[in-house]
Amino acid sequence: MRSFLLRRLGQAVVTLFGVATLIFFLQRLTGDPTYLLVPETATPADIEAMRRTLGFDRPLIVQYLSFLADLARFDLGRSVVQNVPVSTIIASRVPYTLMLAGGALLVACGIGIPVGIALALWRENPVSRALAGLVLAAQSMPTFWSGILMIMVFAVTLRWLPPSSTGGVEHLIMPSIALGLLSMATFARITRTALLDELSKDYVRTARARGASRRWILVRHLARNAAIPVITVAALEISNLLAGAVIVETVFAWPGLGQVTVQSILARDFLVVQGVVLLGAFVTIGLNVLADILYSIVDPRIRLDGVAR
Amino acid sequence: MKSARLFIAGVALGALSAFAIGPAQAGRDRLVVDLVNEPSSLDPHVQWNPDSYYVYRNIFDNLLTRDDAGNIAPQIATSWKQLSDTEIEFTIRDDVTFHDGRKLTPEDVVYSVTRITDPKFGSPQLGQFNKITGAQASGPNTVKLTTDGPYPALLAQLVKLSIVPKHVVEAVGKDAFNQKPVGSGPYLFEGWQRGVQVALKRNDAYWGPKGKFPAAIFRAVPDAATRVANLQAGSSDLGVSLDSDQAAQLKSSSRAKPLAVLTERVAYLRLNPSKPPFDNADVRRAVAYAVDKEGLIEGVLGGYDKAVPIMLTPVHVGWVEGVKAPAYDPAKAKALVAKAGAAAKAEIELATAPVFDQRVVQAVQQMLTDVGLNVKIAMSDMASYLKRAQSGPETVPSLSFGRWSCACQDADGVIFPLLHKSSGWSAYRNTKADELLEAARATLDESKRIAAYKQVHEIVADEVPLVPLYQSAIIYGAANALQWKPTPNESMFLNRMDWKD
Amino acid sequence: MTARPATLHPERARRRVRLATWIPLAIIVAFVLVAILAPYIAPYNPNQQNLLARLRAPGFVSRGVTYALGSDELGRDLLSRLIHGARISLLVAFASVLISGTVGVTLGMLAGYLRGTVETVVMRIVDVFLSIPAILLAIITVAVLGPGLVNVILVLALTRWPRYARVAYGQTLAVANMPYVRLATFMGASPSRILLRHILPNIIGAVTVVATLEFGLMVLFEAGLSFLGLGIQPPTASWGAMLSTGRSYLANAWWIATFPGLCLFLLVLAVNLLGDDLRDRFDPRLS
Repeated sequence: MRSFLLRRLGQAVVTLFGVATLIFFLQRLTGDPTYLLVPETATPADIEAMRRTLGFDRPLIVQYLSFLADLARFDLGRSVVQNVPVSTIIASRVPYTLMLAGGALLVACGIGIPVGIALALWRENPVSRALAGLVLAAQSMPTFWSGILMIMVFAVTLRWLPPSSTGGVEHLIMPSIALGLLSMATFARITRTALLDELSKDYVRTARARGASRRWILVRHLARNAAIPVITVAALEISNLLAGAVIVETVFAWPGLGQVTVQSILARDFLVVQGVVLLGAFVTIGLNVLADILYSIVDPRIRLDGVAR
Repeated sequence: MKSARLFIAGVALGALSAFAIGPAQAGRDRLVVDLVNEPSSLDPHVQWNPDSYYVYRNIFDNLLTRDDAGNIAPQIATSWKQLSDTEIEFTIRDDVTFHDGRKLTPEDVVYSVTRITDPKFGSPQLGQFNKITGAQASGPNTVKLTTDGPYPALLAQLVKLSIVPKHVVEAVGKDAFNQKPVGSGPYLFEGWQRGVQVALKRNDAYWGPKGKFPAAIFRAVPDAATRVANLQAGSSDLGVSLDSDQAAQLKSSSRAKPLAVLTERVAYLRLNPSKPPFDNADVRRAVAYAVDKEGLIEGVLGGYDKAVPIMLTPVHVGWVEGVKAPAYDPAKAKALVAKAGAAAKAEIELATAPVFDQRVVQAVQQMLTDVGLNVKIAMSDMASYLKRAQSGPETVPSLSFGRWSCACQDADGVIFPLLHKSSGWSAYRNTKADELLEAARATLDESKRIAAYKQVHEIVADEVPLVPLYQSAIIYGAANALQWKPTPNESMFLNRMDWKD
Repeated sequence: MTARPATLHPERARRRVRLATWIPLAIIVAFVLVAILAPYIAPYNPNQQNLLARLRAPGFVSRGVTYALGSDELGRDLLSRLIHGARISLLVAFASVLISGTVGVTLGMLAGYLRGTVETVVMRIVDVFLSIPAILLAIITVAVLGPGLVNVILVLALTRWPRYARVAYGQTLAVANMPYVRLATFMGASPSRILLRHILPNIIGAVTVVATLEFGLMVLFEAGLSFLGLGIQPPTASWGAMLSTGRSYLANAWWIATFPGLCLFLLVLAVNLLGDDLRDRFDPRLS
């Protein structure tokens, strides 16, 4: 077990290093920020001078080594566009990203799980089929369209909610729904499968044969056992939500990490992109390692060490 | 490790503040402005960024300014005198104080000039000021600037020179000053909730016309459709960068209206004469005849923009009337294409970027296709577009759409970089035009300059390295109650706005 | 709360299964036909502009041209663009699913079957790729190879293959342990034979389900790329591009975004329904 853990952690570090390296060199393929930073009237000499000031005239390998050296000291560097440390930029965005992801998760679970339960228990019922259709339908709408539609209806016409930006909880409602709609169907599916899985197990049959009421079975056994896969998916879905938020954040002017990533990619603000991507990779890989370990505890059949028992 | 701890503290602080600070709600005592992006920096010397520009111009005063009519007018300098071709002396206002209460002195002006012109400081705006070789306080309230030769656009450039307080910058350093800028302008910096908004407060001790709004908030709203919705819902008072169709949408709103002004931006097509089919001057001329500028403006741009025959606008020094340029004549264009034969069928790449109006680009493509040219649109993001656009004649796209602004309202900032062989933008080689452009740059005699530019305009009209399209309008959306006259130089001075009673 | 087990009504259940399969399939086939026959059924040239007839409502007639679904921001016939747009949207989705699926499944199976170094390397590469934002890959592709249809497909394939690799890997792990696969290995079957003949048929069900879900996502992603200005080059019509320009006209010309939105929605819904149906069939627990 310990050797597995060590190896898994070692792999995680190597993967992170791989992400850092790939993201560094891939970005350098796209030029540098100089042209975007200077006025149109800048002469080739002005541009060259600016490039030198920013350090982009240095050989790539030198830039790479200095990036790694900073990284080793947990220093993500400074944004050349915004003139502040990358950590300041990321730190200012993380709370908003977490809020939005939390809100979206709430929407997705709040609707997805009940629909999934309905689908598992009353498969024949037209109401639950219709619900399933609606959930699928919600997933089939492009966010940049449904987002602006929501703004037009609920903010401009009905004036129930603020159209965009941050503030009180009411600002969080529409972005959460827009983002949550995308994962709702996933939750419905997983819940249904997990429940059906449990329903077919012996203990349920035994309990039923003993005459236990359906409701009692549902509450006592099913909920607890079926919750495990749902929680696993929730953990994975969080990283999907974080990644999928770009368009929602743009439409609702929500200052999350997704927006800052896209803007920094477009602005060639390399260090900010590297910082955000590394943070994302750290979280994703960390969750994966955690999930692997949890699996091994929950289900010993999964062989951790790759050696047949 | 320290930065990791800082990071965690920052996250915690951000989480607290996210709910603590109330929503920006438009009201009479607070003006809410929707920009496209967040300002990159608020130190006026360390960036060249439109969203920063809108904000910091209210915190800082400039040496000179432009009045609503567009003429160069006094601000920190009350008057100026040309001592020689290379020396100019400014008289500095003596009743200006910075937001921290200290008086603004000629030393601050000198400091601001030397700071921005110091190559080691690395200002992106260096190229606009590096003709200035010296600045000194020549008297108790005068400053003398020296240039490395006659520099006709100097005053136009000084309109953008913000005066920073020497004592503050030297005491706190570049980074801290950027986080908490101190100026002498009509509004003072109150707070910056990073990623969310910048808040300004009225400077009640301002020496000039005071602002009407006690406070102002600048937010980042990247999606234009959302900016329109914010105006319609009444949650913002002013939004930037709308197009004519969004303006039409606002016209039917009961709460907001479009405000448009013709700017110093010129929309143009740039042809690469070293690439087929544009190595043939007749095919280049065909492009000039094929584009229906009036059709574009009336059909697509809602009539806000104005067709121009030359690569300038009437608000530029160097604008001349009466240059005979090719007018819309599709029959003639077709004839020219036919005359060029098979060579005219070479594929033409029309380079563009997402920031430009794609309706116009597609309409232009259709017009060129209609006269028999083979045009393919190639859109890339702005950084790639700019890099390629300045990469020299071999790699510059055969055709590109752009909108040019030098933010100086002088021909030297427009046609020199677009045509002169020393510029990365130029794919055109014409010794005569180069000489004329150099001559116009080297004299302060305006009539001589205009005569030289007129000849350049005529060369452009005949040889067609560029097809000037129109003087771009910029469209803002504003709350009905807001009174404001936007200016051609795209500045947004809060103290020139007011509520309608 | 009375639920009848499905087995009590085999007749009804079978009919429902058939409907659940045939309706989405019919929708998809209809779209595919429209896409293939686009030049023959589109009433007008999808790129022909008329600046004097911009933003006209459905049913507008001008100079003998009937804009059945209205006109767009450049006075082009929306119906014709919708029909031609089906081509691009379907092509992008099909091609990107095919490429990313093939690459992902191959690598995932190899990792799951060979284990050891191959497993570690492939799965860590998957992790690395999952960490890189799709838009960065899009910008790099455009910056290096230039914009265009092929490169949009390439971007989507590049960003999506790790998902197939994950699924194929997990399934292969499970299947490779089954007695008959072990027996085949013991009997000396070559690895390629085992992978193709024994493992692939067993995991293809799960992969197909993922592919149908991904298909819908790809149509939406192409729209997302257009929204960021990195998609199909104008004036070529694609549903994504129409939707992303049309959304700013929702207030004064609702039809521009609504019709492509509806088509896209129908297609994605049909593919998702089909995917769910396939999942039910492949999932033994549900039968």
